[in-house]
Amino acid sequence: MSELGYLSLQQLTKRFRGVPAVNDLWLEIAAGERLSLLGPSGCGKSTTLQLIAGILRPDQGQITLQGRLLNHVPPERREIALVLQKGLLFPHLSVGENVAFGLKMRGVSRAEREARTLALLDQVQLTGFEDRQPAELSGGQAQRVALARSLVIRPKVLLLDEPLSALDANLRGDMQALIRRLQEETGVTMVIVTHDQGEAVVMSHRIALMFDGCLRQVETPEGLYQRPSDASVAHFFGGVNFFTATADNHRLTLAGGDVLTTDFPQQGTVQVTIRPECIHLLADQICGTNLLPVTVCQNRFTGTQRHLNLQTPAGLELQAWVPPSQNWAIGQTAFAHLPPDALWSFPTPTVPAPQQSVPKALSP
Amino acid sequence: MTRKVLLLLIIGVLFLPFLPLLIWSFAQGWYFPQLLPEQWTVANWQAIFTASTKVGQGFVQSLAIASLATTLALVVGLPAGRALGLMEFPGKGAIKLFLLLPIIVSPLATLMGIQFVLIRLGLSGTLLGVVLVHLLPTIPYMTLVLSSVYANFDLSYEAQARTLGASPMQVLSQVTLPLIAPGVVVGALFAFLISWNEFLLTFFVGSGRVLTLPMVLFTSLQGGNTGLTAAIAITSILPALVFLLFSSRALSDDAAIGGLGDV
Repeated sequence: MSELGYLSLQQLTKRFRGVPAVNDLWLEIAAGERLSLLGPSGCGKSTTLQLIAGILRPDQGQITLQGRLLNHVPPERREIALVLQKGLLFPHLSVGENVAFGLKMRGVSRAEREARTLALLDQVQLTGFEDRQPAELSGGQAQRVALARSLVIRPKVLLLDEPLSALDANLRGDMQALIRRLQEETGVTMVIVTHDQGEAVVMSHRIALMFDGCLRQVETPEGLYQRPSDASVAHFFGGVNFFTATADNHRLTLAGGDVLTTDFPQQGTVQVTIRPECIHLLADQICGTNLLPVTVCQNRFTGTQRHLNLQTPAGLELQAWVPPSQNWAIGQTAFAHLPPDALWSFPTPTVPAPQQSVPKALSP
Repeated sequence: MTRKVLLLLIIGVLFLPFLPLLIWSFAQGWYFPQLLPEQWTVANWQAIFTASTKVGQGFVQSLAIASLATTLALVVGLPAGRALGLMEFPGKGAIKLFLLLPIIVSPLATLMGIQFVLIRLGLSGTLLGVVLVHLLPTIPYMTLVLSSVYANFDLSYEAQARTLGASPMQVLSQVTLPLIAPGVVVGALFAFLISWNEFLLTFFVGSGRVLTLPMVLFTSLQGGNTGLTAAIAITSILPALVFLLFSSRALSDDAAIGGLGDV
């Protein structure tokens, strides 16, 4: 990966009937990077992608690629390819003609068109499919043809809009691996839009998290898990434990007792979160700090983990995911260890997160 | 098998009315008590190919007028249908009603005014004048058919083609038109047949100088030669049949239908 600023979005804003879908977005993407735009549906991530592709015009802000301003460049001259959710193969063209479409539009000679088309069909493991009709393909095959069709023109940036959401779960894993491999082979800069945080984590070098048209945090997948910038980010990344606490520097007073955190020192009422897999459950009080006495209320076996619901005598509810070998009886008392480096506190004690279905506020 | 029988039955019922026409065209007199004519002749069909009946001239002029009217209706109908099918704008309902007016209002009511304008423009009694006046009933049909075709058209195909490097003109010729082809064929079929069969407008605006096939047919009918009239009538159905056969092939093309969305 080279330096940031290969593809650069500055102050990007797009409104629909006065309502901002994308609001003051700044984002720098490096050459050869795989970046995910992640967020709940309606957060503006697809709009951002269409702005980059040139299908939509921004109301404000700039898009530059290698320092060249793209705002007034029509989509066909941006060298940015877009793959949509449904694959959207042209139904009147064969698979081969679909893949060769971009080359034909560029006036590439027939011989070269055929050679490059066949080579790319090879790369997406569809050798010999060039004479099939799109209607004869399965969803996964159609999506691979769509990928080949976009890559054959050797774009500088490849945009993928929810490319896997229409596929079966087991097929999705294969496609994720294929897309990663293709990106590594071609070195194309890639922006993937997804609402699935698991997919974003597997697919990307960095994840740009969006809520309500605004960028909330741009981080590596590890960083988003380990250092969420606020409670709503933690919530979106599968956070289930949120408590209100009173902070005095590194000491947090919870309903179940006092714990210490290595997070930034804070004062007053704060929102505290800890990932369920970070909580350890102990039968005895071994060490003194960050231990809360709890009762096991629920025990669900999920195959790779046990999901436990815990409650402290003061009524604080916790979820802990423990290895399946640890079997706890319901009603059993234990001690929950909350490691100081896994506890994160945020200053504003707000509602955990914007729920997925919350309608966008109509700002004046 | 039953499907095939049913199909043949439908075809039979539809074509039965043409049987007397066919018999008439080969009959040398066919009078009341006779079930079939006693004497047969091909004279009527030979007469069609002579210049004096003007069938050949009428055929060529009808073909030219219908083709021109269809082309012009397409030129107007494609952008108009797109706007009505895909865009939302104030006054859309009023415009749709306005489009239907030429179909609702009798041409007799408007012809005097139109004729007045065309005479001043020097277009009365010319082929161009007749083509223009044929646009009156053809454009509404064409636009309405194409607007419903565009309403089912997924604009993402165009966006997808643009990002792959197609210019707006290439998008139109390589993606949009092939995908809406079935609808275009239907619209063109309507327009062509309306123009081909048009009598009243041609009669007034053509002022007897533009001789289309319906005019020739009418003249022959007035002349009282039933055999010749039957032969001309059958001739005038031919292009419709040819057009229908051609378009049914285009319409049964699955790939093209797929472009109309989830039909």
